[in-house]
Amino acid sequence: MKRSIFKALFVIFILFGFLPAYFTLAEAKSPEKILIGHPACLSGKYAKAGEQALGGIKACIDWVNNVYGGVKLEGKKVPLKYKYYDCESKKEAVTSFIGRLITVDKVNVVFSPYSSGLTLRGAPVTESHGMLYMDHGGANNKIFRQGFRYIVQTIGPATSYHQGTLNMIHKIDPKAKKVALAYEDSEFAKMVMHGAEEHAKKLGFDIVFKRTYPKGVTDLTPLLSALKATKPDFIIGGGHFEDGQLFNRQMADLDINSNALSLIAAATLPAFYKALTNMAEGVMGPSHWEYGVKYSAKEAKKVGLDWIGPSQDEFVTLFKKGLGKEIIPDYHAAEAGAQVLAYVLAAEKANSVAPDKVRAALGDLKFMSFYGGWDVDDTGLQVGHSMVAVQWQMGKRIIVWPEEAQTGGVAYPMPTFAEKAKGKVAVPR
Amino acid sequence: MLLEQLIGNLIQGLVLGAVYGMATMGLSLIFGVLKVVNVGHGAFIMVGAFITLWLFNALGINPILAVPVAFIVGMGLGLLFYYTIMQRLIKAPELATLLVTFAIGILLEETVKLIFGSEFRGYNWAVGKINLGITVLPMTKIYACIGSVVIALLLYLWFNKTRAGSAMRSVVEDSEGARVCGVNVGGTYALSFALGLGLTVASGVLLTMFIPVGINPYMGGGYTLKAFVIAVLGGLASPYGAFFGGLIFGLIENGSYTLFALIPGVEPFALTRFLSFAMLLVILLIRPTGLLRAK
Amino acid sequence: MKKESTKYYPLIPVFAAYLVLFLIGRNVPGMWQLVAMLLFYCALGQAFNIFLGMTGYVDFGYVAFMGVGTYGMALAITKLAHIEGLGIAIIIIGFVMALFMATLLSLAVGAVALRLRGAYFAIATIGVNEGLRFFIEGARIWNGSEGLIFTAQLNQILGRETASTLMTFWADIMVLIIAVSAAFITLYYIRSKIGYALTALREDEDAAKVMGINVTKYKIIAFVTSACFAGLLGAASWALKTPYVFPPEVFEIHYTIEAIIIVLLGGSGTLLGPVVGGLIYGISKYYLSIFIPGFQLLIFAPIIIIIIVLFPEGVVGMLKNRFKDSALAQFII
Repeated sequence: MKRSIFKALFVIFILFGFLPAYFTLAEAKSPEKILIGHPACLSGKYAKAGEQALGGIKACIDWVNNVYGGVKLEGKKVPLKYKYYDCESKKEAVTSFIGRLITVDKVNVVFSPYSSGLTLRGAPVTESHGMLYMDHGGANNKIFRQGFRYIVQTIGPATSYHQGTLNMIHKIDPKAKKVALAYEDSEFAKMVMHGAEEHAKKLGFDIVFKRTYPKGVTDLTPLLSALKATKPDFIIGGGHFEDGQLFNRQMADLDINSNALSLIAAATLPAFYKALTNMAEGVMGPSHWEYGVKYSAKEAKKVGLDWIGPSQDEFVTLFKKGLGKEIIPDYHAAEAGAQVLAYVLAAEKANSVAPDKVRAALGDLKFMSFYGGWDVDDTGLQVGHSMVAVQWQMGKRIIVWPEEAQTGGVAYPMPTFAEKAKGKVAVPR
Repeated sequence: MLLEQLIGNLIQGLVLGAVYGMATMGLSLIFGVLKVVNVGHGAFIMVGAFITLWLFNALGINPILAVPVAFIVGMGLGLLFYYTIMQRLIKAPELATLLVTFAIGILLEETVKLIFGSEFRGYNWAVGKINLGITVLPMTKIYACIGSVVIALLLYLWFNKTRAGSAMRSVVEDSEGARVCGVNVGGTYALSFALGLGLTVASGVLLTMFIPVGINPYMGGGYTLKAFVIAVLGGLASPYGAFFGGLIFGLIENGSYTLFALIPGVEPFALTRFLSFAMLLVILLIRPTGLLRAK
Repeated sequence: MKKESTKYYPLIPVFAAYLVLFLIGRNVPGMWQLVAMLLFYCALGQAFNIFLGMTGYVDFGYVAFMGVGTYGMALAITKLAHIEGLGIAIIIIGFVMALFMATLLSLAVGAVALRLRGAYFAIATIGVNEGLRFFIEGARIWNGSEGLIFTAQLNQILGRETASTLMTFWADIMVLIIAVSAAFITLYYIRSKIGYALTALREDEDAAKVMGINVTKYKIIAFVTSACFAGLLGAASWALKTPYVFPPEVFEIHYTIEAIIIVLLGGSGTLLGPVVGGLIYGISKYYLSIFIPGFQLLIFAPIIIIIIVLFPEGVVGMLKNRFKDSALAQFII
């Protein structure tokens, strides 16, 4: 009895394993479409950002196919297709799926998985196949110092995350001198910290506190108590999602007040306010993109850039349709979507899908979409996209910096936690 | 100044440590009776956190009332998993039980993800704060601490005053001997497993009272590792040992930060983590029965 | 005793499996990276099995040896890149470093932690793994949490083309070599005095001691051997194939768990087990995530539970019992 169960199981495993591989092999490659391949992180530690990226890509593909009419190649309109697998946020799966995407599915471009580590893991495989590799999830600047030829970044580099916030405070409050840095101890957040530290020194701020906390931390009390003692004028820091919520919450618990608090990654997400409610009032975060940014065809004309893609509201509608869920896209979705548009423009410009030609066209490409500006330097590093500073005001995300993208004034200083507990909200001055 | 910070941190550590201790009692209880290390421990804490979140946000139920609900859910899960899975593995080598409990953990995580999504959530139960001058303690933390102590005391009484409790103790001592003396060993195993998971899920509620944000399906991993260290401090097989282990752990984790921060060129927070695992090794080697020797 | 010629028969199915994998990888387009992943899992299982399968000790912190092996290779590349004309020798130096660091760590851990048994040992090794990770981050050694990224150095030393084939092809071949040598060593140990001593130990450690077997010595031999293979595997698969090291990724305890799953699926203590386990694990995960992306863990977890409850001795263990008296028995260990 047991044995027959086992036998059946084994046969199922084998069938499951090998047959489909040959079916997919037999499928003929059609020149009638452009295929985007993506080892998406749909489960595991990056599931949250992975889902967003998936929705963003689906939304922009939908727009290109149905509104834009397809990619113009040699006088024909060619539709985009999307092939993705779940890499479980694990490196072993990333390379095996990229290998499959390139050789079995014969994709024309590979989109990177989320995080710098996984992006780097895939790079040697795409490089060896001469395959274009577009990076919307790896912010580490070092990726672009490795001599890869086919990698192009859409997400902005990590060192730039907090520069805008520092510029803003430098301008609106020249008296504020003491800044505290408290970041997660991870390659990404450390990179942000280095960028922020350098920039702060350049602007003449005093760094009164500079510490990190380990990944997966569940209690920040000791670090925050030490931070409190240095009485900073404002605090910048953060790392990922859960630690940002913890950071804000425990600052409230310990009654640590300062003029401003800016946290990377976590603070700009709707879940942040939902989890913290009033405590998040006045908290800021740098973002690559936020619902409400004022990038439009008109704006693009003003600065002399080509415009492509859906308007912001169209994007949001398509995003929801793509995922079949009522969630608002965040910047992970926008940058992944903008990457589709960058590819479309570059392929049209090159009039080809050959990776070398598209890569070269991407190097010269400069455009604007709902995501904002897009331009890369010779190494593929994103330099054309500027980040915005977002602040929670009355439960809404207001873009407060840079001035040309503002949707509202900045509330500075932010209310103290005691005031917030009594229901005070952040209002611009 | 430094001393003030140190004392402040120690107070925080003590309050947190009580909750950590309670969150480890279930692990120790299950190990003590069944000799099974529950590698999916953190996933059960996560279930407790989601119960609290859901009761509070959807139904407006006070987190304190979520404790018994979570306890009952945990008991239910415990009985379910015991009779479907664990029962068959009592005599199996460690390897099998380690892996099965891990798989149960994944199953819970993925199920919760399917229902609630992978969003990071939180709730805000505003009941004020106490300012001690050197540090500030929100009332929620104090309630969580009191709750932990009460649960630990109840468990103590149950162990020492009830028939089922003493049966359980006899199985911990010597399961064959207990069987000879007419103790229903199978039933005791089931009850301990259920009770252990009940405690663990309930501790998830208390932990969210301490840290009511960042609740998501994968939040448990960090707590599993912490629970291992704490359980070893307390002697692994003893639930009360675990409770005191938690207190010691909280004190060391919070107190050592201030001291490590004095060393230039290092990351003190990561070193506090290093210290806790170094401590684990040392204790396992020199005193495997835990800092407070079990009876 | 068995005849000399039949002594190495059990290696035939193992090597046959690797040969088939290799041929599929080379000849079926698009399969190489999948084969690379399968080889990694097989090698992981095979290396882990040397200690776990033979002694029954669960080393939960096993991934730490892979971690230090990765660092060994990474340090060799980053620290020696400026020396002209090293060429491919740098890879050899890297493997020697990996071996050295894994041996050192395993001797240190073995000397102390192997005094513990059962769950105590498992937890102690978790402590080693996590402690090491936080020590690297906290004391900021080897660039702390920022880790090391070194494709540029590899390109500089080996030239772009060589570096590229190294990362996408030769690194996987090295994994294959590691897997094959681990299989060979496993059989050698099973057939030698070490194997008999460890079998006695696994059945009843105290009795083995009383019988005068130097239990500690054999435990340490198996422990260090297993750790060395882990170090090499880390160097090949995580440093050469993945040209970066971030501490949280190389000390990720999930890999130990994967190793346990693989060994248990296949049958712990058997020679063929880890190969079968690695293949079943890798293939089923790969295709689960192709057909139902995002849900594979939800399906995988119950499968693990069912297999452990119904087939605790693993696939190869079952086959072994089944073919006990037939001619096939000499091929399956």
